Amino acid sequence: MQHVAVPHAQPQQRQFNPYSENGGTILAIAGANFSVIAGDTRQSEGYSIQTRYAPKVFRLTDKAVLATNGFAADGNMFVKKVRQRLEWYRHAHAKDMPLRAIARLIQTMLYARRFFPYYVYNILGGIEEDGSGAVYSFDPVGSYEREACRAAGAASSLVQPFLDNQIYFKNQTPAPGTTHPAHLPLSHVLSLVIDSFTSATERHIEVGDGLEIYVVLAKGSALQGLDAIQGLSELTTTDDGERMFVIRRNLKRD
Amino acid sequence: MSIMDQNGGSVIAMVGKDCVAIASDLRLGNQALGVSSNFQKIFPVTDRIYLGLPGLATDVTTLKERFRFRVNMYTIKEEREIEPETFAHLVSSTLYEHRFGPYFCEPVMAGLSKTPSGGYKPFIAATDLIGCLNFAKDFVVAGTASEKLFGVAEGLWEPDLEPEDLFETISQTLMNAVDRDAYSGWGCVVHVLTKDKVITRTLKGRMD
Amino acid sequence: MDHFPLSWGRPRNDAVDAYGTFPIQQRPNHGQDTFSSGIQHTQQPIVTGTSVLAIKFKDGIMMAADNLASYGSLARFRDIKRLHAVGEHTVIGAGGDMGDFQYIQSIMDELMIDEFAAQDGHALGPAEVHNYLSELMYARRSKMDPLWNAILVGGFKDGQRFLAFVDLLGTTYSASTLATGYGAHIAQPLLRRAVEGREDTLDAAEAEKIIEQSMQVLFYRDARSLDKYQIATITAEGVKISESRKLETSWSFAEGIRGYGAQTQ
Repeated sequence: MQHVAVPHAQPQQRQFNPYSENGGTILAIAGANFSVIAGDTRQSEGYSIQTRYAPKVFRLTDKAVLATNGFAADGNMFVKKVRQRLEWYRHAHAKDMPLRAIARLIQTMLYARRFFPYYVYNILGGIEEDGSGAVYSFDPVGSYEREACRAAGAASSLVQPFLDNQIYFKNQTPAPGTTHPAHLPLSHVLSLVIDSFTSATERHIEVGDGLEIYVVLAKGSALQGLDAIQGLSELTTTDDGERMFVIRRNLKRD
Repeated sequence: MSIMDQNGGSVIAMVGKDCVAIASDLRLGNQALGVSSNFQKIFPVTDRIYLGLPGLATDVTTLKERFRFRVNMYTIKEEREIEPETFAHLVSSTLYEHRFGPYFCEPVMAGLSKTPSGGYKPFIAATDLIGCLNFAKDFVVAGTASEKLFGVAEGLWEPDLEPEDLFETISQTLMNAVDRDAYSGWGCVVHVLTKDKVITRTLKGRMD
Repeated sequence: MDHFPLSWGRPRNDAVDAYGTFPIQQRPNHGQDTFSSGIQHTQQPIVTGTSVLAIKFKDGIMMAADNLASYGSLARFRDIKRLHAVGEHTVIGAGGDMGDFQYIQSIMDELMIDEFAAQDGHALGPAEVHNYLSELMYARRSKMDPLWNAILVGGFKDGQRFLAFVDLLGTTYSASTLATGYGAHIAQPLLRRAVEGREDTLDAAEAEKIIEQSMQVLFYRDARSLDKYQIATITAEGVKISESRKLETSWSFAEGIRGYGAQTQ
C-alpha cells in the first residue's frame, strides 16, 4: 500500500484588510520667506462622503505644519505620534525641533513601519532655521526630499503638472535677457493654490467641500497682503517668532 | 496592465473664439520601451475636421483607414463634405458596432461646422472605446495622460481664446501633462483650425 | 494543536523515516504549522446588528438603533440592546458583530468604574470615550485582530454636544448627522436634508420625528432590520435611553405594485 501525503482541504478564509483609502488632496508650496500648506476637508470611502469637514493639515509647532493624505486612521495616528515625539523633544531641549529635524524624524518613524506601513503620503511645510520657506514631501515608507512645491493624494496627478508649469515654469521660455523668478510672491502662490483646488474639485469626485490653507511667515516678515484675504484667522502663539495663519474657504460640495 | 496603455499616447482638443485646436504627443512605445518619436495619432478627415486616435497602435491604423473609407463613401453618396457633428456620430456608431470586442481607441475630434448664415462654429467631441459621445464646450482629453491633461486644462483654459492664445494654451497643457506621464511625450504636434487656414506646428519636447 | 503524541518531535519531512516506524504515520493537518489553529488572527462578523443613526439637535444628541441581532439572514435575537450608556454624558451605539460590541461594553463599564474609583473630580466625557475607543479599535486592527464594529459615540458635557464615528479600522470622523451600515447609504441623505444648518434650532420632538422617519425607511428597505427600536437622547440633563418601541408601518401601498401584492394577472 502506498502512503501519500494529502494536504487537508482548508476552509477558505477571507483576509481582513487593515487599510482603506479616504480620498482628498493636499498641496504645499514654499516661498522665499513663507510656506503654504493646503488640503481639502472632504473625507470619503468609496462613493460615500463620510464627513465634509475632517482636517488633513495639522499645526505641529510655531513654524511647522504637516499635511497627511491616504488612509485617515493611519494619518491621524501618525500625526498623534509625531506630536508626542515633538513634545518629548521640547521637554528634553526646551525648544521646538527645527524643521529639517522634524523631516528626518518623520522619515525614521515611517521607515520603522517599513513592513506594515502607514498608508499615508505626508507633506511637511514650514520655516527653516535660516528663515527660508521649506516643503518636504514623503512617500509612505519614508523616502523624502526638500522641494519648492508638491501635490499628493487623490488628485495629485491633476495638480502636480499644473504646478510644474506655474511654479517651476516648466516648458516656458523666459523673455530674452530675463530669467524666471526662483520664488513667487505670497499673493500669487495663494491664487495658484485656490485655482488648483477648484480645478481638482471640478474633475475629481473625492475632492471638495472645504479648503484649509495654512500660511507660515518667517520671523519678522511683512504680511504681504495676507490681511486682505477673506476667511483668515491667525494661530500665532508668540510675538517674536514665526507667524502662522489659516485660511478657510468653501469648495463645491457635489 | 491595460491594453489601452500598451503603446501609450495622448490627445487633447480645445475650443477657442471661432477656432478649435487639437494636439497629441508623438510617442509610440511597447510598454515602457520607447519605439518611435514620430508616430502620428491625429489625422485630417476633411479640411475642417481633424481626428485624434490615442490607444492601441494597431487599432489606430485600422480605424484611421476605416474612417477614411466611410467618409469617402459618405462624400460619394451625398455629394458633399461630411459635417463634424455627422462625423462624430459616424465614429460613435462605428465603434459601437464592436461593442463586445472593441477597438482599443478613444477618438477625439475637433472641427469647424457650417452655420446657416455661412459662418463656422467650433466643434469638439470625444468618445470612449465603445462610442459613448461627449460633446464638451471647453476641452476634451484622452490617452494615458488624460488625468494630467484634465488637471492642467482645467487650470489653464479660458473661454474665447484667439488662435495664437489657444495654440499656447493647448501646447502648454499637453507638454506639461505628458512630461508627468511615462507613456506619453517624445515631442508633440498641434493643429489650430480657423475659418481660412489650419496652423500645424511640431513642438520639441523632453526625450526622457 | 496536534494532539497526536506520535507526531510530536518527528522530522518534518515524512519521506524520511528515521525511527523505522513503517508504515509512516500520517499526521493530521499535514503541511500546516502545528500551532496555527491555536492563533486566530482574523475573523468575520457572526451575530450582527445593522444601522445606527444619530443627529445633533438644539439640546444635544439623539441616537437610534433597532433591537435585532441577525445570524446571517436569520433574525436570531430580537431583543438585543445596541445602545449603551457610558457614564453620565455618553451613549455608544454599534453595528457589526454583537459579540465584539458586548465585549466593548464590558471594557467601557470597567473603564468607568476605574475612573470613578479614582475620585479625582473628573469624569470622562464623550470626547474622551471616543478617543479611547478609536485607540482601542486602531490597536486591534493593527494586530490584525479587529473588533468588527462601526460605532457612533454621542454625548453632551460642559454645554458641548459631541457626535463622532469609529470603525473596525480605527477610522474616525465627526458630522452633525451620522449613520452606520445601510443607514450610511439610505438614511444619511435624509438626515442631512433634515438636519444640516438646523442643528441649533431643532427641538427634541422634531429630532425624534426625523429619526423615526429614517428608521421607518430603513425598515422598509433593509432586510436585516426590525421594527422594534430604541432612541437615546443625551442632553444637559444626562442620558436617556428609551424603552423599546414599535415602528408605525403601512404595507397597503404594496397592493398597487406588480409583484408585491396578490395580483390576478
